[in-house]
Amino acid sequence: MSEADERALRGAVGPTSRRIMFNHLAILMSLLTAWEVGVRTGTLDALFFPLPTDILAGFWRLYVVQGNVWSHLGLTMMEVSIGFLAGSALGIGLAVVVGLVEPLRRYMKPYVIITEATPRIAIGPVIIAAFGFGWTSKVAIVMLVCFFAPFVNTLNGMVNVDDDELDMMRSMRASKLQIFRKLMIPDAMPEIMGGLRLAMASALGGALVAEFIAANAGMGVLINQYTGVLNMASAFVCVLTLTAIGFFILRFMEAVDRWLVFWGDRARTEAVSRRRASAWARREEGRT
Amino acid sequence: MTVAELRPTGTASADLPVIAARGVTKTFGDGRVVALEGADFDVRPGEFISLVGPSGCGKSTLLRIVAGLLGSSAGSLSVHGEKVTGPRHDVAMMFQKPTLLAWRTAIENVLLPTEIAGRVTDKDRRRAMDLLELTGLKDFAFSFPSQLSGGMQQRVALARLLQTGADILLLDEPFGALDEFTREHLNVELMRIVGEVGATTLFVTHNIGEAIFLADRVFVMTPRPGRLAKIVDVPFARPRSPELQLTPDFNQLVAEVRTTLGAVA
Repeated sequence: MSEADERALRGAVGPTSRRIMFNHLAILMSLLTAWEVGVRTGTLDALFFPLPTDILAGFWRLYVVQGNVWSHLGLTMMEVSIGFLAGSALGIGLAVVVGLVEPLRRYMKPYVIITEATPRIAIGPVIIAAFGFGWTSKVAIVMLVCFFAPFVNTLNGMVNVDDDELDMMRSMRASKLQIFRKLMIPDAMPEIMGGLRLAMASALGGALVAEFIAANAGMGVLINQYTGVLNMASAFVCVLTLTAIGFFILRFMEAVDRWLVFWGDRARTEAVSRRRASAWARREEGRT
Repeated sequence: MTVAELRPTGTASADLPVIAARGVTKTFGDGRVVALEGADFDVRPGEFISLVGPSGCGKSTLLRIVAGLLGSSAGSLSVHGEKVTGPRHDVAMMFQKPTLLAWRTAIENVLLPTEIAGRVTDKDRRRAMDLLELTGLKDFAFSFPSQLSGGMQQRVALARLLQTGADILLLDEPFGALDEFTREHLNVELMRIVGEVGATTLFVTHNIGEAIFLADRVFVMTPRPGRLAKIVDVPFARPRSPELQLTPDFNQLVAEVRTTLGAVA
């Protein structure tokens, strides 16, 4: 498809997509209005369904007037970030080592299977007993949650390299390091990214569950406190905050995926192709 | 750049056989399966050899042994007078699958062997572009494999093969996965290009007509155990056109090869 065709198509889609957005908004507003009316007339139990307007007011109260959410949110996000980075780095790193060393692969397998079969959350209290109530135990739990998907996917990606492509590299007298860097890692990239997306999706949940088990601060603790005193509007504010963060994390990982594994996406492939062509042309100009 | 500059940089000398095989044998599974038994032959500089035979005749095994990807169980194989112990810089191989790296543009794929051997210079880049022009893909130098047809992908693989500068080219059914028309066209192109660069070529196929059309000599191979049954000389002058395949002389050679294959099968 030419660029002009694409522009024309996008032009045709424009108004329709605006109408769809409007429809979405209308449906959402009706639902919220029904909710509000339902609670005010007593059809819905206010204990489980706080008024949407109360929740809205709760955002103002928690974030601006009291401002107490920030420190809890910051702590939870720190646990999530450190746990995710350390856990997935450990997972990918170990998978690379295991993938490159054949005997290790054979003898590690039973342990991987046993550990994978164990529910991660069951180990939660054990970790908290070992590391204490503070943030270190939460980071450890998030690490545990974030370890397996990247580990398993990276290992799969590395083991599933095409035999002919390996022979092609070997026939060019590529070293082990060159085969690893130029073939195995890029080849495994889509799977590694898939593992990272899974890990990131479970990291936030892992941190919250860890905070539910035992902690003195964090979003999990805050939600527990509010539900404990039946302040449902405030509890909803916390949950909706986490929804928004979860959404942005998901979108961010998708964007990273499309950027790194560009060859899996047609439009991105075409864009990168054009960029490489102009980079080549610039070099040619620079030389003459 | 002239064609002469695209010639391989290897060290061919006219009197020595480029490839010499003496009783090359390959067995798998503790000697239970004999993939190739006692292959004896010499290949002269610049010769085009087709290896033809049904599956299991050991033609791909032989090619992999010459490539240094596979060790032989018995016998000796030498290239330019040296015993083959592993992949060599003067031997390059092309596979039935294009084996292009999906995250590299056509030209980056062509430059892969240079990158593996060392630093990529402007001269290497120009050579890669010239080779893409030679294989008719200059306009697609910056396309990714997923943007190219199967035939175009194999042209990139062919350019990459030539970029190695090897003077011995091994092709394992390179166009076997393509449709009849594309394959015929690419065979003619291959003959022209290999002729221009003057490389010694081993070409594996299971198509008898294709084998004869391309080759100076056809190695007819038979299975169970894999064996080099007969060497057929192809006397036709070059350049050859596809019409050659309609002549009685050509068909007589086809019959000869077919008889050899049929007598054993």
